[in-house]
Amino acid sequence: MRKCALLFAIVFLNWFAFGQMDTTISLVSKIDAFPQFELADGNQIYMMGYTQLIGAPIDIPAPTLNLTEGDSVQLNMWNLSQGPPHTIHLHGLDVDQANDGVPSLSFSVPHDDTGSYYFKAPHPGTYIYHCHETSVLHVQAGMYGMVIVRPQSADTLTWEGGYSFHSENTWMMSEIDTNWHVDSIINHPHDSTATTHEILDYNPQHFLVNGRSEQLLDGSSSELNMSIGEKVYLRLANIGNFGNTLIFPVELNANIVASDGRPLPSSYSSDTIVLLPGERYGVLLESSMLLNDSIQVEYFSLNTGAVWDVQYVNVNVEGFLGTMKLDEDAIKVYPNPTNGNLVVKLPSSQGTTKKVSLINMLGQVIISQEYTEEEYNFDLTILQSGTYFLKVINEGNNYLEKIIKR
Amino acid sequence: MRKFLLAFVGCAIWSTCSFSATVNERLVILRDSLLLADGSKVPYITFNAVETYNSTNSRIELNIGDQLDLWVVNFDTAVHEFAIKGLTNVFTIPAGDSIFTSNVFSTPGAFIFYDPLNFPDNAYLGLSSMIAVKDHQHPSFFWNIKEHKDSWNISITTGGSVNWNNYYPNYFTINGNSAPNINADADARVVGSVGDTLMIYVTNTGQSIHPLHFHGYHVDVMYSSKFPSHVGRSKDSEGVYSFEGSVFRLIPNQPGEYPVHDHNLVATTGGNVYPMGMFLTMLITP
Repeated sequence: MRKCALLFAIVFLNWFAFGQMDTTISLVSKIDAFPQFELADGNQIYMMGYTQLIGAPIDIPAPTLNLTEGDSVQLNMWNLSQGPPHTIHLHGLDVDQANDGVPSLSFSVPHDDTGSYYFKAPHPGTYIYHCHETSVLHVQAGMYGMVIVRPQSADTLTWEGGYSFHSENTWMMSEIDTNWHVDSIINHPHDSTATTHEILDYNPQHFLVNGRSEQLLDGSSSELNMSIGEKVYLRLANIGNFGNTLIFPVELNANIVASDGRPLPSSYSSDTIVLLPGERYGVLLESSMLLNDSIQVEYFSLNTGAVWDVQYVNVNVEGFLGTMKLDEDAIKVYPNPTNGNLVVKLPSSQGTTKKVSLINMLGQVIISQEYTEEEYNFDLTILQSGTYFLKVINEGNNYLEKIIKR
Repeated sequence: MRKFLLAFVGCAIWSTCSFSATVNERLVILRDSLLLADGSKVPYITFNAVETYNSTNSRIELNIGDQLDLWVVNFDTAVHEFAIKGLTNVFTIPAGDSIFTSNVFSTPGAFIFYDPLNFPDNAYLGLSSMIAVKDHQHPSFFWNIKEHKDSWNISITTGGSVNWNNYYPNYFTINGNSAPNINADADARVVGSVGDTLMIYVTNTGQSIHPLHFHGYHVDVMYSSKFPSHVGRSKDSEGVYSFEGSVFRLIPNQPGEYPVHDHNLVATTGGNVYPMGMFLTMLITP
């Protein structure tokens, strides 16, 4: 144990100490000693994968590598696979041959050894990294993650001079065929003389977004929880063996702006996008109305075109960008629910001009008033029954309260 | 200024016309077999340039504006048809007979000629290849990509039926070559130098979608029969759909040997053995 700790310290500290790089990232490649990755049906399977900590469980996808445009990057890998060699292929980053991660053309890292990949990250965008050693087996086993290169000037730009956004999310689509995740495949002894490998037919039972499916997607980080007017940049990548068709609710006004780490010559609006294996796309989403819906992800066979599965990822659009809920001590709104009369009351210390707006579920402003009094009465009797939002702008602060009209 | 403009337009028209020509080609339908990656053979039928069978289908290369005068001769014992995808004419060619067709190709791209009889059966059995129409003089490479299910070749040629809804192919070829011969094909393997403009013509005459991934470089999409809107995109991964064509432009910015992969799982294997499917590299010198 002490030897192991010493080796760890030497390897990792050396990497960090001598790295003349803008960014140094270290990964451990390893296998599960026992089935631990939980599927939607409750079963657990063996995985191969990358983690940043030795003791961390293997997850799908592997940790996202976050880089900045122009970075000189040193990516270290310590292979603790107990068997096969591994590599890291930086899919789409167009690194040089020595660092491309293809065993026969660059190098692979044997068990209990280390290797480093050196590259520049010149183009902001979304990329993939994955093992290229017996890649069909090792990728299916779980050895993949995303690389995000952000522009130097701002994390909330797609690229310099590109689109700005308020928040982002990443979705990596893949599948799992549990017959490929048995101990005899994942934990296979490495035979350096074996140049070919028998491959099973691929009949996946689990169709994943960021490693989760079915009920495991509910409440997961893949869900989009956004506000009206909030621009969300959704980074998509497909590392599976099936094609994906994503269908967005039209209310999200999906605008497809980038692919494979490059701006599209012409962005385009569409509620549907197809990602083939290995492709990445960047999609800007912005809703002008409240929404409680889902994005549909279809998984289709590349050989027959048949859709094998559909997953749904929740999208919730609530509130307005830059608003906070009413501070009950500062502003009072009553009665709520109301039959018609609504009182908005501010403390006497606040004598400035306030702007009050009433907004319907479609995001349309129904009433907009400015006033300086402490108390203001709204007559809502002409409004239909339903849910509305009261927005108060006071001294640069935005407040929001849901109003029920009976 | 007007004189200059007239001279410029005149030169442009003259230069276009000067490259256009009448190209006479002959295709001979012959039946034999396809050598698979594991050494096994399956029945196969191809369009050949001469009366000697070759599992690499004949390919036709034209310059933009060329007129193609084409004879297709059926030396097989069965009736076949002939068509060029995108054109309306379909010709029936009885055994021992021939047809003639003449067409002008006025747009650059990668087009497919094939046997539409019992589609896709005959085209799947090998009778499908490429017409490359160029608008440049750059070095060009040609990939007629195709996947196969060995037992279906036997079934179709012996009068059996197959259900394409259950298609799960197990072999893969480019220009009729299996691994490791794919990378030995000088027409397929991309060889050039940094800064060169290299053009890659791709037709998918299989039934599967083939998502191609280029290591080391992004390529420019110059033509896509399936998605014309993709023209102009810079991509490292781009799919070529069944019976569609694409043209990619590669201007390498670094030397090295880099693979091109097909991210359709079936194209990476041969007879369920990895890596007996697609292995094709680009060799770029400084």
